[in-house]
Amino acid sequence: MAEQTTTIVSVTAEALSVRYVEPDWLRKMRAGAWEIFQAAPSPKLEKTDLRDRSWDIGPYADEPGSPSEEAEALVGELAGQAYVHVRNGVAVAVHLPEALAAQGVVMTDLHTAVRDHADLVKAHLGTVVKPDEGKWAALNAALWHGGIFVYVPRNVVVDTPVHFVYEETGQAAGGAPRALVVADEHSALSYVEVFLTAGSQPDKVHTGVTEVIAKTGAKVTAAAVGGYRKGPANFSVRRAHIGNDASVDWVFADIGDGFSVVLLESDLAGDGSASTVQGIGIGTGRQHLDLTASVLHHGRYSTSDIQLHGAMKDRANAIYRSSTHIFKGAVGAGSEQHDRMLMLDKRARADAIPMLLIDENDVQRCGHAASVGRIDQNQVYYLMSRGIPRSEATKMIIWGYLEPTVQRIPSEVVRTHLVRRIDRELEA
Amino acid sequence: MQENTLGKGWYGMAGPLFHIEDLHVSVEDKEIVRGLNLTLKGGEIHAIMGPNGTGKSTLASALMGHPAYEIIGGKVTLDGEDVLEMSVDERARKGMFLAMQYPAEVPGVSNANFIRTALNARLGEGNEIPVMKFHRELQAQMKRLNIDPVFAERYLNEGFSGGEKKRNEILQMVMLKPRVVILDEIDSGLDIDALKIVAEAVNSMRSPEVTFLIITHYQRLLQYIVPDFVHVMMQGRIVRSGGRELAERLEAEGYDWLKHELGIEDETVGVQA
Ligand SMILES: Nc1ncnc2c1ncn2[C@@H]1O[C@H](COP(=O)(O)OP(=O)(O)OP(=O)(O)O)[C@@H](O)[C@H]1O
Ligand SMILES: [Mg+2]
Repeated sequence: MAEQTTTIVSVTAEALSVRYVEPDWLRKMRAGAWEIFQAAPSPKLEKTDLRDRSWDIGPYADEPGSPSEEAEALVGELAGQAYVHVRNGVAVAVHLPEALAAQGVVMTDLHTAVRDHADLVKAHLGTVVKPDEGKWAALNAALWHGGIFVYVPRNVVVDTPVHFVYEETGQAAGGAPRALVVADEHSALSYVEVFLTAGSQPDKVHTGVTEVIAKTGAKVTAAAVGGYRKGPANFSVRRAHIGNDASVDWVFADIGDGFSVVLLESDLAGDGSASTVQGIGIGTGRQHLDLTASVLHHGRYSTSDIQLHGAMKDRANAIYRSSTHIFKGAVGAGSEQHDRMLMLDKRARADAIPMLLIDENDVQRCGHAASVGRIDQNQVYYLMSRGIPRSEATKMIIWGYLEPTVQRIPSEVVRTHLVRRIDRELEA
Repeated sequence: MQENTLGKGWYGMAGPLFHIEDLHVSVEDKEIVRGLNLTLKGGEIHAIMGPNGTGKSTLASALMGHPAYEIIGGKVTLDGEDVLEMSVDERARKGMFLAMQYPAEVPGVSNANFIRTALNARLGEGNEIPVMKFHRELQAQMKRLNIDPVFAERYLNEGFSGGEKKRNEILQMVMLKPRVVILDEIDSGLDIDALKIVAEAVNSMRSPEVTFLIITHYQRLLQYIVPDFVHVMMQGRIVRSGGRELAERLEAEGYDWLKHELGIEDETVGVQA
């Protein structure tokens, strides 16, 4: 079959390497990824048609440009906390509280980290999301611009959240942020990324990659709040590599009307490793969201729990897939999946697709449940029977459906931000 | 509304007059309630008894306005106002309350938040109860009903035991202070101590400004909440009314004598009346 997507890229890997005076290893890594990107066929997705999408990204701005109101407010509230703020690929603020620096925690924008923490970055970058795993992972590896690097040393417990605020203001032409989060042995960290994107041209690409590494005994909560707007095609890969007795708890929220293909994955490599994936989404307008939450069980006695709750408005169309794969040798592994989709409008469409692959005979319970439905009229009646008007009752029920996940976001500022965003969507 | 206190008689009006006339209700095109008449006045307690499947819960749900129950004939008024024209929430704000036989579970909505929203809806805009005052009142009422304080923050009815759900219905009743109270099998699932506590809560609300309709299978509840009238429902209508002695006789002898007297073979609404 003929290649139908067009590739026009207005930025080159070489130009980025020059701009950031990158070391040789990174220059080679970008160039290699670029080769892979060019050679890779356009992906064929079962439920998402990519034929009308082109692979154009850039040109990257030299200056960050002026902030969006939303991002400015959010960053204002983060004053005094740990955060990296990137606008249109350019780092505009890096703030690491004294107390964290004293513990040996590293947190800076990824370009700076390449220079100042070369060994740590080199040892980990591209090890969890590899350039050759697919077209958009390769594109990000070749052209990533703007990002964060977090490193928590052995035995260090960071008890305040670390934030990555990534903002595209619409002047940008797509983007390719990259996050690298490394929790060394027996450390603990809460990491929260917030992506705020104003729409831009529909023929652009946004491709984000987040790599999380939890070494032996490390405990990481990783939250991702995204709001992709109508315009570019968004491809996002977030993956955690989880060592012996380590855990990564993902919390994610996606609110928007964009065109997105999203993968969120935990690789339970270590024995006794654990991961939960808890996600919510509100689709509006003509959103197309193709989301996969996936757990790969390699370690013995590894456990996982995926819980997805989506609410679709207007003409949104969402596919929520949860996938658990228990590989041969993952003796004693156990997993749960619960997916629910709520359709709030007649024209909204949703699929909840559970996938469970078990290659090992000796496993614990592996349960899954998936449903697509509408608001339960018995619940509405019950609330109304106590005097609450229908519209408010409906809102309370939807909130109740989303709230437990919102509460798990490990940053009060981001939680409040998300609550406001959800309120705004439910009012509209 | 005169004041937004939680004191008795906050409506500051005369006792309610709730009137049901020749009511017919159908579910899924099957007529379940078939010509029911009943008048409830402030200060009165009415009990409805009757075998399974005779339309008691259908009556209660239809009065509250459950969308699955279609009114195919008759009239229901509260203080002369047409109840059947009102939406479910309007009925509640007018002072109607139904403790349901099977209350819904609403995950993610905390009990306290739900009750406060309901109370504020009832008090009306501008008269909302201050948050601290609400929580003090809620904790006091929970204590009185012997409900563990953690139930304030539990999600509404989610994972509650049968008895806990019933007590939670009564908690809502004492917090919302309705004027027309319908209790549908509030005693089912309650242990004896809980039964006494619930009865005490009902008795303490007894006043000329409140009227009660209590659906039960058991005389025991009526020993604690002494009714003024006892009605027996069969085939979707009231077939016999009396005083508390009627409940005692039913408890002792069952329904056969009554069916025999009335010439009823099948008391349910399963076959045509
Ligand atoms: N939502 C419904 N859908 C279908 N049938 C219904 C529904 N509600 C009630 N019915 C039927 O109507 C009849 C009367 O039911 P109802 O619940 O009113 O009886 P009841 O007198 O309350 O019985 P019980 O003492 O067992 O609670 C039954 O045959 C029941 O199956
Ligand atoms: Mg019943």
